Amino acid sequence: MKRIEVKLSVSVVAPLLDVLKSIAYESPEQESKQAPRDIDSDFREVWNEELLAHQKTDMDVLFGLFNENFFIDGSIILDPNNGEPVLRSCAALRLRLRETILRDIKDEDLEGGQIHLENLPDSIVRAFMGYLFLATIQELIIKHIEQGSTESEGS
Amino acid sequence: MIIPLAKSNASPEAQIAVQTQLSGAWRVVVLNDPVNLMSYVVLVFRKVFGFDENKARKHMLEVHEQGRSIVWIGVREKAEAYVFTLHQWHLSAVLERDETY
Repeated sequence: MKRIEVKLSVSVVAPLLDVLKSIAYESPEQESKQAPRDIDSDFREVWNEELLAHQKTDMDVLFGLFNENFFIDGSIILDPNNGEPVLRSCAALRLRLRETILRDIKDEDLEGGQIHLENLPDSIVRAFMGYLFLATIQELIIKHIEQGSTESEGS
Repeated sequence: MIIPLAKSNASPEAQIAVQTQLSGAWRVVVLNDPVNLMSYVVLVFRKVFGFDENKARKHMLEVHEQGRSIVWIGVREKAEAYVFTLHQWHLSAVLERDETY
């Protein structure tokens, strides 16, 4: 993956960051439930702690993108060092949004993006916008990773 | 990171029972979720298991259409490590004993 600079609208993205930060460091609920059933409680605790620690490290990388430069000109830099942690953080945040603020929205509506925003409270609208924003970041990174691997296969 | 498999403070009899219980082949099964992007799931399969694009896409479609896909079969310890790695990538994955062995 090459280094890419992305220009974002500060006035659009900054309010979404508040929503995302509010759930970013919660325990990975779904993943914790899927730890092997036959392991003992100590092992389960280690499993969950390690997952949470890993998630925290990834989140720090994601929110590190939105530094002073972002608030000056809206730019964030994606590169080979932060690409994968940002991808994972986006996945984690989308899952948390789904489990919490967006829990009452049907899967098919969420998947198709067919939601009538005008009928929803502001908190849900903002969470939904965050959900879409994270997917856009993921798609951008994946596209660049794929391009990089195609180029290296071709060379 | 490697998570220890064994339960160290158990009696020898209990340890043998645990070893017997955990022996044989185990499946790593990825389950469908309504959140993760298809392209993301393909990328994770490629990264974690070293699948080529076609194989990764085949398993992703299996997850999407049938709700689950067996992505790896082998010894318990390695299967556990794969499930843990998939959880780090926030995919829905579980461990199952492979009864065919």
